[in-house]
Amino acid sequence: MIKQYLGSLFLIELLKGLKLTGKYFFAKKFTIMYPEEKTPISNRFRGRHALRRYPNGEERCIACKLCEAVCPALAITIEAEPRDDGTRRTTKYEIDLFKCIFCGFCEESCPVDSIVETNIFEYHYEQRGEQIMDKTKLLQFGDDYEAQLAQDRTLDAQYR
Amino acid sequence: MDSVNSHEKIELSPSVCEEIDQWVAKYPVDQKQSAVMSALRIVQDDHDGWLTTPHMDAIADYLEMPAIAVYEVASFYSMYELKPVGKVKVCICTNISCMLNGSDQLVRHLEEKYSIKLGEMTEDGQYSLKEVECLGACGGAPVVQIDRQYYENITPEIIDSILDKLD
Amino acid sequence: MSDEMVTIQVDGKSIQAAKGSMLIEATDNAGIKIPRFCYHEKLSVAANCRMCLVEVDKVPKPLPACATPVMDGMVVHTKSPRAITAQKGTMEFLLINHPLDCPICDQGGECELQDVSLGYGGFDSRYVETKRVVKQKDLGSLVATDMTRCIHCTRCVRFGDEIAGSRELGATSRGEHTEIGTYIQKHLDSELSGNVIDICPVGALTSKPFRYNARAWEMSQKETIASHDCVGSNLSLHVRRNEVLRAVPKNNDAVNECWISDRDRFSYEGLTQSRLQEPMIKQDDKWVAVSWDEALEFVASELLSRTKNDAAATGMLMSPSSTIEEGFLLQKLARALGVENVDYRLRQSDFSETQTPWLGQSIADLSVNNATLLIESNVRVDQPMLCHRVRQSALGGGEVMSLSSVGYQMNFSMHESCVVAPQRITEELAGIAKVLSNLSEGSVCDELVSLYPGIEPSPSAIKIAKSLFDGATSAVLLGSMATSHPDYGLIQSLSVEIARLAGANVGVISHGANSVGLNLMNMLPKKELASAKSFGDMQSEGMKNVVVYNFEPVYDTYDAQTCLAMLRSAEFVVEFAMFENDAQKDYANVLLPITPNTETSGTFVNCEGVWQSFTGAVKPFANSRPGWKVLRVLGNLHNLEGFDYMDSSEVLAECKAHASELAGISASGQWQRQLDSSAGVARIGSVSPYAVDSVVRRAAALQKTSLAENGVVRLSPELASSLGVQSGQRVNISQGDETIELSVVTDHSVAQDSAVVPSDVVVSGVLGSLYGEIALQK
Repeated sequence: MIKQYLGSLFLIELLKGLKLTGKYFFAKKFTIMYPEEKTPISNRFRGRHALRRYPNGEERCIACKLCEAVCPALAITIEAEPRDDGTRRTTKYEIDLFKCIFCGFCEESCPVDSIVETNIFEYHYEQRGEQIMDKTKLLQFGDDYEAQLAQDRTLDAQYR
Repeated sequence: MDSVNSHEKIELSPSVCEEIDQWVAKYPVDQKQSAVMSALRIVQDDHDGWLTTPHMDAIADYLEMPAIAVYEVASFYSMYELKPVGKVKVCICTNISCMLNGSDQLVRHLEEKYSIKLGEMTEDGQYSLKEVECLGACGGAPVVQIDRQYYENITPEIIDSILDKLD
Repeated sequence: MSDEMVTIQVDGKSIQAAKGSMLIEATDNAGIKIPRFCYHEKLSVAANCRMCLVEVDKVPKPLPACATPVMDGMVVHTKSPRAITAQKGTMEFLLINHPLDCPICDQGGECELQDVSLGYGGFDSRYVETKRVVKQKDLGSLVATDMTRCIHCTRCVRFGDEIAGSRELGATSRGEHTEIGTYIQKHLDSELSGNVIDICPVGALTSKPFRYNARAWEMSQKETIASHDCVGSNLSLHVRRNEVLRAVPKNNDAVNECWISDRDRFSYEGLTQSRLQEPMIKQDDKWVAVSWDEALEFVASELLSRTKNDAAATGMLMSPSSTIEEGFLLQKLARALGVENVDYRLRQSDFSETQTPWLGQSIADLSVNNATLLIESNVRVDQPMLCHRVRQSALGGGEVMSLSSVGYQMNFSMHESCVVAPQRITEELAGIAKVLSNLSEGSVCDELVSLYPGIEPSPSAIKIAKSLFDGATSAVLLGSMATSHPDYGLIQSLSVEIARLAGANVGVISHGANSVGLNLMNMLPKKELASAKSFGDMQSEGMKNVVVYNFEPVYDTYDAQTCLAMLRSAEFVVEFAMFENDAQKDYANVLLPITPNTETSGTFVNCEGVWQSFTGAVKPFANSRPGWKVLRVLGNLHNLEGFDYMDSSEVLAECKAHASELAGISASGQWQRQLDSSAGVARIGSVSPYAVDSVVRRAAALQKTSLAENGVVRLSPELASSLGVQSGQRVNISQGDETIELSVVTDHSVAQDSAVVPSDVVVSGVLGSLYGEIALQK
């Protein structure tokens, strides 16, 4: 009873709290000044998609449609037909990023490492319809970030 | 479409037909195609030792069987030649017994001697080399068949002397 | 196989099996699964894949279940360690040379090898040597190849030998060099070639038009009935996003077994080509797209006012491939408006015959007939599935004979092939009847005697008559060309007479998918009404108002010139059309877009009289509407009673109530001869198999095959030499006022003084009647 009375009289609880405040007041700060500063990103980060090419410039995608089949959100639409040289290629490859839940199954299912998820998560749309990533855009992303993509996959290779 | 599906046609000579008929007579009337192997051999002998597609078509027509069935037989057996062969056809068995007894060296020797690979013909059209499956004479391995003659226990030296004699 | 049963024990379960049957049949029937590749229930046993190895007690080695006959008391283990080891070993061998390209393989997802390897395959390969690669082969426009994937099960080879009846594929070379192919560069010519796609257990033979289009799992399967011949093969359509991507057979042992013709398989390509999208009305010679309301009200008011005065000058014509519901509603509408001039017999010229043109027996019965006479029938390409049955009868020892103007190449051997010019067909038939009357000691009817006094039967006629008479079950089949023949009625009368004397069945192989059904629905002028006009009468007398339902007059009629003339001179033409074409824009006043059978529900009655209903697989294209719905609304707009159907099953129920039982074909009483035997060069106007209807004509891959053979005239060598032309040269052919230049093929099988000028994509619309005199000029 007395202990409780004295404790409240001398504001022990408050001081305890202030002690913690004081500790963090003088400690090194966690805050990252986004967007000037950025957090480190895992090489397994699942951001916006891209379609990769082989070093000789040939697109990797062979229209096997496994990503379309595995996609739990039904965000991928593919149409395919034989290209002039007889190979199996897509004529349409679209991902609706509003539907996409970034689970990474598409990347996981791809037998040729074509569809991948980049570490890009900063993007926005201004018009309805822009969220649909078509083949041209996806291949462009792949070309733009190929160095990063290749590096990420090399790092991850040892765990596969 | 026709240009793809049709090609040159030839007729078998009367003497060839006569010889084939002797073989056809050995089989039941409704099983003419049983004579296909003999027919292929007869036609091949009649045509410098090899068969062309029109030849095989002619045999198919003659024995009333599908052309593809004749192609199957002709391409299956190693004694039928589907491209030109030399005057002397040297067939070397490379199956297990002959291989163990040195058919490899024979092959290498002959390839060097005539500067051709197995399955090829010398430029002058004199010699052909051919790799064949077991000739059924493993007791005398390695075995070489030159035209219709078997030669057993062959070494590079022996084959040279045999081939020299043939010249 | 005997009916005797034996008992065997499989995996501890006791099962019954027919004595002499193979083990795999017994286990299949009992629902015990044994993996297999080369075994196919409709083909002979090859036992060369070794995948179905099982352990049998008291036998030292595993045995292939497909080639092991059952024996009483046999004890079989399909899942014992020894069986599983044998199967896994086989699988490893099969996978040694099989490429790991499932992601780009069209068979991926529906592949037997893929499925079985999931159960029996290893996790990784122990094979480190180079894999075998086989050069790609070009088998034509229908079948695509990736022969590296082939596992040499030889199903395709056996199919060619046993079902298609022409061995085109074979296994050449030996051992590791074995290849399945044609050896020489050659296209598959068989009219059943597409079936090798289905039976290939791997992705070595796949569909070329479908190549890389879709995956098995993306598509939903919808069942339908094929609409290009009178067999009505059962199909499964594979549909994705409201588009038919391919057609595959659906098993029905009574109709098509597990096969379909190439025409049924690949015609889907034509479904979306040049479709009519909107209802259109011609206003001041310009075509204007209008709404359905506007179009239908216009049609209804025009028809009503025009039929009020001119019902006798109004005709309604319908494609023989229309559904029974459409046929019933169109004739109901017509007759309610007082119009009796209705017809579906577009490729006929003799309309005296009104009996239901059916087979007179079941399709399956065709394979057990002892003697079959085909009259003017190229059954092999016209009706591949019927030919398959007739061929079975021939292989089983039955005698198949033909009497026609062309000695058609069949895929079995003919007992007798009698080739005469078209105008002499009836004479030969009379000869056969006469021989039969002697054989049976009966007498031929008086009409025959007076029409053919003192006829001398030819040697062929004697042979045919004898065979028909001796056969325990025999059939006389009138081919679709016989129905087009100007003497169709007479041919049928003679056939009935022959059948009566020989104790045979008479059957008709009709045009289109539903001639039988439309006949049952009375979609033809009533015989008792003298004023009712047939298609022929309409053409000769001219019509003021015409309804054209679901056919292209240029291609689908007996005489395109005459039919077009009738339509052009008519005042008012309403066309219910699936497709757009140039001719319709010229003669029609209103175009109403309707749907093919893939987009509507309906029923076809096939040639054996079986009613086969189907529902739409995809939604109607653009703004088109199912034909039966359009007819129903037209009925409402005319304020007619009995047009208040809620769905097509109500129409079907009424159709069923309306239909009479099929009866055997009897003597028609037509004993007049149209074609004179003294005519000059006669046209034999067969219909090219890939030009039979508007959908098939638009199927691109089919048109590239050798069977399509567009723009060719076949002449007998005698005729060709008398004209001084050779194969490959061009010749001018005139019929009526029209002339067309075609390329010549000399053909020994064509009757003398005759020329086969098929109605195909090139010829139709230029030349006139299918049979008739033509002039040839170099």
